Amino acid sequence: MRLHLRSSIATHLALGTIGWLALAFLLLPLIVVIGVSFTETPYLKFPPQGFTLKWYAQFFHDTSYMDAFWLSVVLATSATLLALLLGIPAGLVVMRRSFPGRQSIAAIFLSPLILPMIVIGVALLQFATVAGFARSFFALLVGHVVVVMPYVMRTTMASLHSFDLSIEEAAQDLGATSAETFFLVTLPQIKPGVVAGGLFAFITSWINVEVSIFHSRQEFLTLPVKLFNYVQFNIDPLIAAASAVTIYFAVLAVIVLDMMIGLEKATSRS
Amino acid sequence: MRIGRLETFLLLGGPVLFLGVFFLVPFAMMALASMQSDDGTLTSSHYVKLATDGYYWSVLLLTFEIGAGVSLLTFLLGYPLAYYLTFHVSSPALRRIIYIILVTPLFTSTIVRAFGWIVMLGRAGLVNQWLRGLGLISQPLDLIYTQTSIVVSLAYTMLPLMVLAVGSVLQNMNRSLLEAARDLGANSLTTFLKITFPLSLPGVVAGSLIVFTLSVSAYVTPSIMSGGRHLVMSMLIYQQYMVLFDFNFGAALSILLLVMTLLLITAYVLVLERSGRTTAAP
Repeated sequence: MRLHLRSSIATHLALGTIGWLALAFLLLPLIVVIGVSFTETPYLKFPPQGFTLKWYAQFFHDTSYMDAFWLSVVLATSATLLALLLGIPAGLVVMRRSFPGRQSIAAIFLSPLILPMIVIGVALLQFATVAGFARSFFALLVGHVVVVMPYVMRTTMASLHSFDLSIEEAAQDLGATSAETFFLVTLPQIKPGVVAGGLFAFITSWINVEVSIFHSRQEFLTLPVKLFNYVQFNIDPLIAAASAVTIYFAVLAVIVLDMMIGLEKATSRS
Repeated sequence: MRIGRLETFLLLGGPVLFLGVFFLVPFAMMALASMQSDDGTLTSSHYVKLATDGYYWSVLLLTFEIGAGVSLLTFLLGYPLAYYLTFHVSSPALRRIIYIILVTPLFTSTIVRAFGWIVMLGRAGLVNQWLRGLGLISQPLDLIYTQTSIVVSLAYTMLPLMVLAVGSVLQNMNRSLLEAARDLGANSLTTFLKITFPLSLPGVVAGSLIVFTLSVSAYVTPSIMSGGRHLVMSMLIYQQYMVLFDFNFGAALSILLLVMTLLLITAYVLVLERSGRTTAAP
């Protein structure tokens, strides 16, 4: 018995050590980026020397960074809205009505999740070049919608799956139209899943490089693509500040997700 | 909810049309382009070039080697973390902190995370600065730009996905099975090997599939961490499209990556299904 206890304490300690080392491994690069963004030196220094916000000021006054920042915000917002508009009805029909080809339609809708993102990007580039909308906001938008819609659809389907059908049927038996049933009964019930899906969609678009890189122009870059182009040639505290801003965004999104539905629930659904 | 025929048509029409035009048609066009020459005539020359030139095979091999290495590394690090999180952390506050640490990197662009590694290990990075400051080296060391650094930084990127996939399966495991094993005298190692691990395999499979497919198609991390010295498939595809403007050969490369990825995933699932049927009968 005592041996058993001792070995389980040893296991606990060993697992805890590996676990926290892995967590430290996850956090370290983010902490270093945030740290160097506050340095007073014109080169990277960690721990930062002194404390200054001048790199942030420079970032927020640089019109090219601000253009990229706002392009990313507008793109992620519109891609998410469009994905909700297309993904929720699609999830609803696939879960609530049986028809031939239902499974294949669901599989095709979700397939962008497992296909190489870069291949989705180049396929659309090829199409857009022929169709005459290459390197435009429209091309960026439709590419992002293709990539983020599965997140909305998957969480919608998962929420509908665990949803009591008889409530919907009761509403319809009592004379509600299907539209009324959806907005008054179904939507309030599946809201947490839809919110989680929408948030995942927004973030996936906000951090995307693999699709955006084929549809941007030099004077028309999303923030991640601009950072990507910059990092390959130059690293300085300014880009650390720009990167740190995106980390703050991520932390904010995580907190919102945690407060609205809880991280454990949100991540086990998606 | 009962949905009528007309409503089905209206609700599904938009999404189907959208994906048809902006997803299926582009893929069909790419497949066609991969079999066309510059003047539009049909040709198999791109695929012949791929099949006969060993260079492309070596790039493909490196890509899949990296994918396999990343899957293995995330499993080795991620499984213990998921296990620890599920069975050893009971405080809700601590669980919450761990989940925040897991999800925050996922919500951060791969470029920012790769930048973190460059800041630490790059030629102008912190480690090189310190070593030079101490007078230990005169020229900056190449700490990154190796195949190992690509694998490590990709594993870093993918680790939360593996932990979440394994964690959700462990979380939903029927704990009375574990208690039964203990009551019947199995020690913790036996319980783990005979009960917990086999039951958690679906999570491991799901996790490693996600990690593998994302690793073989990753572009940002390998292109930054390789410093251009090691080429993976996605970088080759990017070159064809954006530097050489050879859309037809680029299309053939894309189709090759797509088909090989799907083949490997299918083979992996089939092998696991077969071994699962013989060893872990329910």
